[in-house]
Amino acid sequence: MRNEVLLFLAVAIPTIGAFSLPIASAISKKLRNALAVIFILSALVCSLGLVPSAMAGETTTLSYDLPLGFNFTLKADGLAVFMAIVSSLISTIIAIYSTGYIAHYEYQDEYYLMVVLFLGSMMGLVFASNLILLYVFWEITAIASWRLIGFFREKNYVVRADKAFLVTAFGALSMLLGFLCVYGQTGTFDMSAIKASMTGPLGGLAVALILLGILSKSATLPLHTWLPDAGVAPSPVTALLHAAVLVKIGVYVYARLFLVTFSLSPFWQETVLIIAAASALVSAGAALIDTDMKRIIAYSTVSQIAFIFLGLASGNELGIAGALLYILMHGIAKGGLFLCAGVVEHGTHTKDITQMGGLIRVMPVTAVSFLLCAASVMGVPPFGGFFSKLMVVSGAVQADHVWIASVFVFGAILTILYLFRVFNSIFLGETGLASRHATHEGTPVMVASVAVLAAMALVSGLVISPSSNFAKAAVEQMLGIVK
Amino acid sequence: MNENVLLLPILIPAVVGVLVLLMRKAQSPVRDGLALLATLASAAVSFTLYGREMSLNLPWAGFGMDFALRLYHFSGFTVAAIGGFGFLVALFAQKFMRGRKHASQFYAYMLFALSMANGAVLADHLVTMLFFWEGLLLVIFGLIAIGGPAAWKTATKAFIIVGVTDLCLMLGIALVWYAAGTLTISKIHLPLTGLTSAAFVLMMIGAIAKGGALPFHTWIPDAAIDAPMPFMAFLPASLEKLLGIYLLTRISLDIFQLNEHSWLCMMMMIVGAATILIAVMMALIQKDYKRLLAYHAISQVGYMILGIGTGLPIGIVGGLFHMINNALYKCCLFLTAGAVEHRAGTTDLNKLGGLGRKMPITFLCFFIAAVSISGVPPFNGFFSKELIYDAAMEHHYGFYLAALLGSFFTAASFLKLGHAAFLGKRSEANENVKEAPASMLAPMLVLAGACVLFGVYNQLPIQKFLQPVLGEARMEGRDFAGWPASATLVWLTVLCLAGALANHLAGFWVTRSGIRAVDHIHYAPGLHGIYDRAENRVFDPYDNFLKLVRLISRGLWALDRAFDWLYDTLAVVVSSTVSRGIRAAHTGNTSMYVVWVLAAAVIILVFLMKAM
Repeated sequence: MRNEVLLFLAVAIPTIGAFSLPIASAISKKLRNALAVIFILSALVCSLGLVPSAMAGETTTLSYDLPLGFNFTLKADGLAVFMAIVSSLISTIIAIYSTGYIAHYEYQDEYYLMVVLFLGSMMGLVFASNLILLYVFWEITAIASWRLIGFFREKNYVVRADKAFLVTAFGALSMLLGFLCVYGQTGTFDMSAIKASMTGPLGGLAVALILLGILSKSATLPLHTWLPDAGVAPSPVTALLHAAVLVKIGVYVYARLFLVTFSLSPFWQETVLIIAAASALVSAGAALIDTDMKRIIAYSTVSQIAFIFLGLASGNELGIAGALLYILMHGIAKGGLFLCAGVVEHGTHTKDITQMGGLIRVMPVTAVSFLLCAASVMGVPPFGGFFSKLMVVSGAVQADHVWIASVFVFGAILTILYLFRVFNSIFLGETGLASRHATHEGTPVMVASVAVLAAMALVSGLVISPSSNFAKAAVEQMLGIVK
Repeated sequence: MNENVLLLPILIPAVVGVLVLLMRKAQSPVRDGLALLATLASAAVSFTLYGREMSLNLPWAGFGMDFALRLYHFSGFTVAAIGGFGFLVALFAQKFMRGRKHASQFYAYMLFALSMANGAVLADHLVTMLFFWEGLLLVIFGLIAIGGPAAWKTATKAFIIVGVTDLCLMLGIALVWYAAGTLTISKIHLPLTGLTSAAFVLMMIGAIAKGGALPFHTWIPDAAIDAPMPFMAFLPASLEKLLGIYLLTRISLDIFQLNEHSWLCMMMMIVGAATILIAVMMALIQKDYKRLLAYHAISQVGYMILGIGTGLPIGIVGGLFHMINNALYKCCLFLTAGAVEHRAGTTDLNKLGGLGRKMPITFLCFFIAAVSISGVPPFNGFFSKELIYDAAMEHHYGFYLAALLGSFFTAASFLKLGHAAFLGKRSEANENVKEAPASMLAPMLVLAGACVLFGVYNQLPIQKFLQPVLGEARMEGRDFAGWPASATLVWLTVLCLAGALANHLAGFWVTRSGIRAVDHIHYAPGLHGIYDRAENRVFDPYDNFLKLVRLISRGLWALDRAFDWLYDTLAVVVSSTVSRGIRAAHTGNTSMYVVWVLAAAVIILVFLMKAM
């Protein structure tokens, strides 16, 4: 019973609690901020409470039947718990950072409401075991991110937010059509029932429609350009959406549907690999040309998401586990990069890297944190990114995709180049025009959050076994491997 | 002895390194002493371990990725060498780094490098090895970046070049994993097929790039100028050579079944010969003590690759012997450069000269190291080069001639360097230069002494350390120690060295200047233009690679913009056109609407009739 309660609370506290924040704000701003952090933190705590059962390979189920044959089913297996922990862990730090970053802007009530609601619906999406429920939470995240991207009310920014919403909503509706195809084939929306009744691979049309949804949410070529455009959002939002949580929804649903629930024909596996390879290269190339700091990091996300797809689409134990670790390592490191960018943006009031330079003298902690997080994204040991990159590439090689793996290694080379380009032009060299505005590093809360993420990037690599053991347990459960 | 003791050479420097990094405010003698003590402890453990055999296997990242270490003859010997160099350089740095900015970072990174080098050599698992091997990246970046305000450019260059090759190594390891089904080095011995040949090439790129071979070398001369001097003696001169050649030997002997007639051997020999010649030609014209040495650090690795690339036991023993010899004399040479920089304040050869009288012991060490690197009998470099010559000769005399020509230019450039720095006229600024302090002289003397010892008594390194690496089966009872087997080759060497001396004297006679004694080669017709372009970095593979990547990126960026155009322009145009069309249909004219309704009714009717 205990696990069911934890599962319920992990979804309910942030989803319902989010709506109490505007009320709390009437009492005290500090109370509201504290509550926002606490709601997200409690999702993390509840998810951590599910670890022992997930490690043991058990699944916690919570189900209510609804009229008209629908049901409300939450399921916590290893994959879901892993994803929930990653999302809520990074969201907690981002929420704490927000209390420093957002303090001087308008519409703070909306901001906190949307952030917590976003995390809550993410929890729901992760644990959902019913396609319709999954779709509902999926769209709630889309609405929340629409408001968060358009947080600053400039006309141009609102258009970018609309673009993000329209592209992902287009994908989501296609996916819903795909779900209907699945319903046509199996007569149910319940994932466990689908899994039981599916014999062959899913029909091509359904796969294509669902993939549209996944690729649009995870910002993969050719549906990726909304992501760099959404860099107009406040930095903690970009960290939350572009690094840690939103873009991981697509890859998570890929794993949930195409690895756990249905099987995918080799043709589609290959297609996903090729799309991912193209996505990795195109976005890495764009990251080498663009001059807006946050757009560069966003392109980098597009490129790294492709590595996650590489691991998942390879379909073997090593690749999938590598992809799960990649979700964790990339979330930490990329979150750190965006938050560092936020500190820099606060100090210099610009995002143009050609205007910066020499900031390491004013912002030493941020600079070092940026470098450490960048090293993790590059996949340099002893950082966590090393293991995940090695595992997805090796997984692809073992699935006999040597050429695709080579393309990704070239993508990894470009990763080193563009991250150094952005690091050098922000922090090293001559003091740039905009750098002169920067007199201090940022509020202690912000700097501490950044440093914590950098430290986590390092520790997650030095102490790899807990996360890799958990990933192993999750993958074994996913693939039905009996120990 | 408990096998956990294998962790000590990795943990001691790493832990002390963290402590040193935290002691930024501490009194520097305390911190420096602690760092020295750590290198001493690490060296002591490594020396104690030498000669033992043990393995350690700890669970690590799962999925067959274990933390496995194995101490056996080769790794034990290499780790002992690393420990020795670490201690000597740390001792040298005591005086050199005192009072400098970033000294605590220097010691910390140096200790991290020591820890990772030990880990990479001891590793018996390819992922464990890659973890430590690639871990050096950030350490190298840090060590170069603390050298000065503009050093970060070189640091980035080093990081990118080494990082790219490390990724090649990673892909190679992934291929080996696929082909062998395991990552435990002592269990892998793959035959060469298409896939495994690719794996060999990728792993070889990682190995020779660490060694500093062409075309992955161009950061080393830049680092010689920018990085703190002991860095050069520590990493490019000794540790990286040991690591790179250690791995090259492991993949040639153990991981792959390399055959001496394979095209891979031919490729390695070509890379080796090209590295020797091109780098030494560049060394010849340098006007800076450290930069000249840096090009030799590149050129010398060519001999090792050439030797190992022959695939013959005599060549492999020669290559390995050259690896040790080079580490000894090159480390010593960089330390003499450091001593000169410490006392004279510059390494620009135009400003030096006549220091031999003022710094006699430094000059002596320089002399011994210089004749060793030039291959003068009976110093150590002579014996290792003769072995490599012998092996090269067995394949094709072209490789031998390349190597011999390399020796000619090596000797010529060291005659120039020694002449320009230690002999000739002393400038007034250098009148008050004193001999280097004892803590700097001691490591130089030890290294110079080892150069003599390993030459005169080469049975010690060859019979005791190196021939066991190949094992009884490969050696077939042969012994390469002692005086070289081929008298003809020795005579040719002597002739070549005499030619170099004559060349120098002739150049000096014409120009009356040590530093300009090779000008007749530098400004020779044909060579002159090439040299000018090389000095202007026209040929720098790094710059050219970046240009190429920039070009590719422009294309990819255009592609990205094209996709964005679909959303920002095409989607908008299409939706507004469609809605304008629909709006045009709503005219408000009732009779028109009736026509629409009737048309729709007809379509439905036709559809229904078809369906029936």
